[in-house]
Amino acid sequence: MEASLVQNRKYKFYDFVLTPLKVSPILTLIKIFNQVLLSLIPALRILVTADFIDTAMKIFSGEAARVEIYRPLVYFMLFIAYANLNNHLMNFVNLKLEMNLNRAYRSQIAEKRAKLEYRHIEDNDTWDLISRTCQDPVGRILGGFNNLLSAAGIVIQVFSILSVLVAQVPWAGVTIVLISVPLFALAIKGGKATYKASVEAEKHMRRANYLQSLLQSRENVEERALFGYVDSVNEKWLGKYEESRIINTKVRLKYFIRMKGSSLITVFLSIAITGVLLAPLSQGIITVGMFMGLVIGTLNLIQMMSWQLAWTMSELARNREYLKDLTKFSELSETDGALELPVDKNSVVFENIEFRNVSFKYPGTDRYILKNFNLRLEKDLHYAFVGINGAGKTTVTKLLTGLYDNYEGEILLNGRELRTYSQAELKALFAVVYQDFAKYYIPLKDNIALGNVLNFNDQEVQQVASIIGLDEEVKDLPMGYDTPLGKIIEGGVDLSGGQWQKVAIARALYNPAQIRILDEPTAALDPVAESNIYEMFGRISKGKSTIFITHRLGAAKLADQIIVIDDGQVKEQGTHDELLKLGGIYAEMFEAQRSWYK
Amino acid sequence: MSEKSPSKKKLGFVGVVKRLVPIVVRATPVFFISFSVLAILHGVSWGFETMMQQRFFDAATVFAQGESTIRSVLVALAFLGGANILCQVLNGVVNFVPEVLGQKVIGRLSKGIHEKMARLDPKCFEDTDVLDDINKALQGQNNALWFVFMLCAIFTFYVPYFIFMGWYLFTLKPILVISIVIIFIPAFLTQIVRTKVFAKLEDKSAPKRREFDYYESCIVSREYFKETRLLGGYKYFKKLYLDTLDTLQKLKFQATLKTNLLELLMSFLTVLGFSTIFLMLFDAVMKGEITVGAFAAVTNSIGLLYSIMEEVVCRHAGQMAQSMGSITNYLNFLDLEERQGKVQEVPQLGDVVLEGVSFKYPGSEKYAVKDVSFTLKHGETLAIVGENGSGKSTLIRLLTGIYLPDEGRVTIGGVDTRDLPLDALYRNTSAVFQKYQRYLMTLEDNITISDAKKTFDDLALDDACRKAGVDSNGRSFPEGYKTMLSREFDGVDLSGGQWQRVAIARGFFRDHQLIILDEPTAAIDPYEETRVYNRFAEISKDKTAVIVTHRLGSVKLADRIVVLKDGKVVQVGTHDELIARSGEYHRLYKSQEKWYVEDAEKKKMTEELADSSNLQPSFA
Repeated sequence: MEASLVQNRKYKFYDFVLTPLKVSPILTLIKIFNQVLLSLIPALRILVTADFIDTAMKIFSGEAARVEIYRPLVYFMLFIAYANLNNHLMNFVNLKLEMNLNRAYRSQIAEKRAKLEYRHIEDNDTWDLISRTCQDPVGRILGGFNNLLSAAGIVIQVFSILSVLVAQVPWAGVTIVLISVPLFALAIKGGKATYKASVEAEKHMRRANYLQSLLQSRENVEERALFGYVDSVNEKWLGKYEESRIINTKVRLKYFIRMKGSSLITVFLSIAITGVLLAPLSQGIITVGMFMGLVIGTLNLIQMMSWQLAWTMSELARNREYLKDLTKFSELSETDGALELPVDKNSVVFENIEFRNVSFKYPGTDRYILKNFNLRLEKDLHYAFVGINGAGKTTVTKLLTGLYDNYEGEILLNGRELRTYSQAELKALFAVVYQDFAKYYIPLKDNIALGNVLNFNDQEVQQVASIIGLDEEVKDLPMGYDTPLGKIIEGGVDLSGGQWQKVAIARALYNPAQIRILDEPTAALDPVAESNIYEMFGRISKGKSTIFITHRLGAAKLADQIIVIDDGQVKEQGTHDELLKLGGIYAEMFEAQRSWYK
Repeated sequence: MSEKSPSKKKLGFVGVVKRLVPIVVRATPVFFISFSVLAILHGVSWGFETMMQQRFFDAATVFAQGESTIRSVLVALAFLGGANILCQVLNGVVNFVPEVLGQKVIGRLSKGIHEKMARLDPKCFEDTDVLDDINKALQGQNNALWFVFMLCAIFTFYVPYFIFMGWYLFTLKPILVISIVIIFIPAFLTQIVRTKVFAKLEDKSAPKRREFDYYESCIVSREYFKETRLLGGYKYFKKLYLDTLDTLQKLKFQATLKTNLLELLMSFLTVLGFSTIFLMLFDAVMKGEITVGAFAAVTNSIGLLYSIMEEVVCRHAGQMAQSMGSITNYLNFLDLEERQGKVQEVPQLGDVVLEGVSFKYPGSEKYAVKDVSFTLKHGETLAIVGENGSGKSTLIRLLTGIYLPDEGRVTIGGVDTRDLPLDALYRNTSAVFQKYQRYLMTLEDNITISDAKKTFDDLALDDACRKAGVDSNGRSFPEGYKTMLSREFDGVDLSGGQWQRVAIARGFFRDHQLIILDEPTAAIDPYEETRVYNRFAEISKDKTAVIVTHRLGSVKLADRIVVLKDGKVVQVGTHDELIARSGEYHRLYKSQEKWYVEDAEKKKMTEELADSSNLQPSFA
């Protein structure tokens, strides 16, 4: 059983290590061990250098045999070999670790996302959080892990060199610690400040980038050409760009000053240490070799401090923000049974649905979309929902399919509260063709067969396709029903808007669900195709209940019952003739459309 | 006349350099020169630092042996410290300056690219090859800048550094100069390996990665979320997701295996080289040819030598090689033909005449519009009808001059559209497009963007809004005209219907003699629909107007109707004329009308029946 890596809890820095550890303990330990070793090498080199030089000098003065030089020589070569070759082993370790994390961690993140309550998806701020957190999750974890390793490496390097120094000249250690601690603290503070400032610069850049996209995108070629706004937008873009650039320059300047500042301080420190070491050198307390080794060691520290420290600190700040996001993400509520398969169609039988005084507003908003909404729907009937945009028609669909459950009042399905039904049951009951229906870039037959995930049947797919007139168009596709749609899979073919709409309708037809909801199913179709769909619908709706949401009132006529929804309530209900006679909202709307054809 | 651009042209390295360097240097000459000078100093300073290390160690050795005063050591130490400080400062400056000044230059150059984009023939955006050049032009420009900087750095930093080090080593012991060569070989070979092998392997995995990302999006993205959930499609997509992941991992593993084995070989060469140099130094110090101090200093600097060599040969040269692709796109883009024109003034009043116009989209076999001829009389309202894919949008673009015909010609007031430059062509035309844009800007900007050069006041805005039905003082616009219309930049969301009205206001705002009204197909309710038709009617009253209809309701507004089928004009006439004939128009119109009018006839019959029953004497 896989360890659960995405849990609702507070994420801390150690999670950057814990997660890889849980997924691939051996590889993680290898990485840690490698970092420790690499970080100790500079200190070890000091010792080896000292050994070598001292031995060499002893050989010159005849105090030692030539062969003794080979000992430090071999160590030297070993260090060189390790530093250069370990790269390649680590590449494999890193790759394998990344692969394992993709399989375990990334898929768990995807699973969590799929389970989220729908309201999080529609809320823009939460969606931003989700996008930010789930952008390259494995990269972030590994980045954080490497960041910690790097930071640990710096500490080990500094401390090991320090130890060598202190072993030779004890009091030097104290001085160095006294100076390095504030240096580190400054670097950490610097890292945070850099991060904050770069976020600010990014905001301005986003605006500039948007304006730039207006100038080069294919999307708005017509308006851009006809309205000729390139010059003015270009000016605006340059303004925003410069604003962003100036902020960014200030940020980078501060960063460089900090970085070079710390390296200059290290230079002075090293020179000071070196100068101070001259005394023990002249007194013979330390050998020439050790002196040179120590000087080289501290000089090399400068290089490391100049780039690595500042970089590591700013990365730490960035990763800290990420952990906050990750924590918030893990706290997002989930829907029970979100990933379940639909139950067998025979286990839930639809008799009726009743809305009793249902009021609903979207979470985080003030406006009630549905206000004391009352409606009763019976089985085997064909309903049409009409009403102006924003009246609540699509919202009713979202409530019925279980996307939101924070409504007031009751929705009774076969006499039982809708909220007591499982997601699996709801999935088996409803088939929906949304206005923004999904165009899956998978083979055509899969696109249709997804209507019934419990039963992929080629023959039935073809039957459904022919009902809706797709079979004619399939003949033009290179691989017939197996043709991948869209440009993701190799050899894929893109369909026109109208063809996609037919595929979406076919999917709903293939779906065994007893209640079909179609939201503006003919918007992308031209008049003749639209007309054909309406005519066909009567034939294919036997034994099912359907709800059409439509503005094409000509089609509404076909319904057994027309429900007029206005201002969150059912205002009129009846057959076409009854509502015309009523002379209310419906009659008005119908007349408005009809007048164009008189 | 726009031609197919030579975007398949591949430029060699020399060709690229020859074209790029002048462009970049001209954009920022002062900076270029000062950068070069600083880079040379920086390169030399690294070598100088190694030299000072050696001098210091030598002085320390002598001092340790009691053969000199502390003064000489301290002087050497001061020089060493000074060299280090110089190094660090120059290092900071040489890295900071190009980064920051580069941004400024990019801004300036990008502005130029944007202007060029405006002058391109809109048809370019339909040609996939040209579109590739366009999409990569900006990235290519950025890469071009770094390319030239890197090239400059190679000659001003890296080369001087290696020359200095080479000279320094030579002064220690002549044979040591070979070290530079020894260091160069593995780095060079590694780079060759990388460009030849790795690039090919990357290509294979890119489509698989896209597939993987796509399947993930089917589960989690906003576009697919609710539908995938309701269908219970999680399992289906998860399987595809994991299968693709496995394939992708396998490809990556193979690629990494290959490259790492090769690079391991290269690393052995590096180790070999390192060891060789080390042994040479060892030999030299054992023989007393160089001092122990020199040995320590040079040994210490070999690592630096290697990493700098690796930096220039592998990283920089590698990046330069990789960026050749997009730089070529950028240069191709600069060479793209622009729409020119001879005549400057558009004749104010005139008919638009299409004569034998045919047009094919780039890369397509079929004609989108074939042999179309008709006249749009000044002041009339023309409706264009036809099924989806019949060529309506293409025809509109030809009519307004956005596209130029492949065969035949389009004249406006007698002047061929080919002869008119873009801004003169569009000066008196406005439009409400089917796919109107929703600009993430203020309400005011969203409206006035159609005529940026027009000076306006609130009255003009009010006028446009009134005619379009936009209530700028309403609840939807809390800050009136200054309301930001997008959640992304902390503004408000508008509904589809509201956006439609803004688009109409936009079309209205622009001064025009000819206006194109492309009927919206998005689902709008009957009231909104009627309102839109009424607005169109109002807008087209005193002007020449072309209405593209998808639903046929609005043909009522037109004086004449043009019927398209498969890119050809099959019928032209008034509504009454065309309905009387049994052709395409009749077919299209009846297929919609029957849903509304059958009923009216029934109504009439029942009314008549009712009337006749009233004629009965009331006392019967």
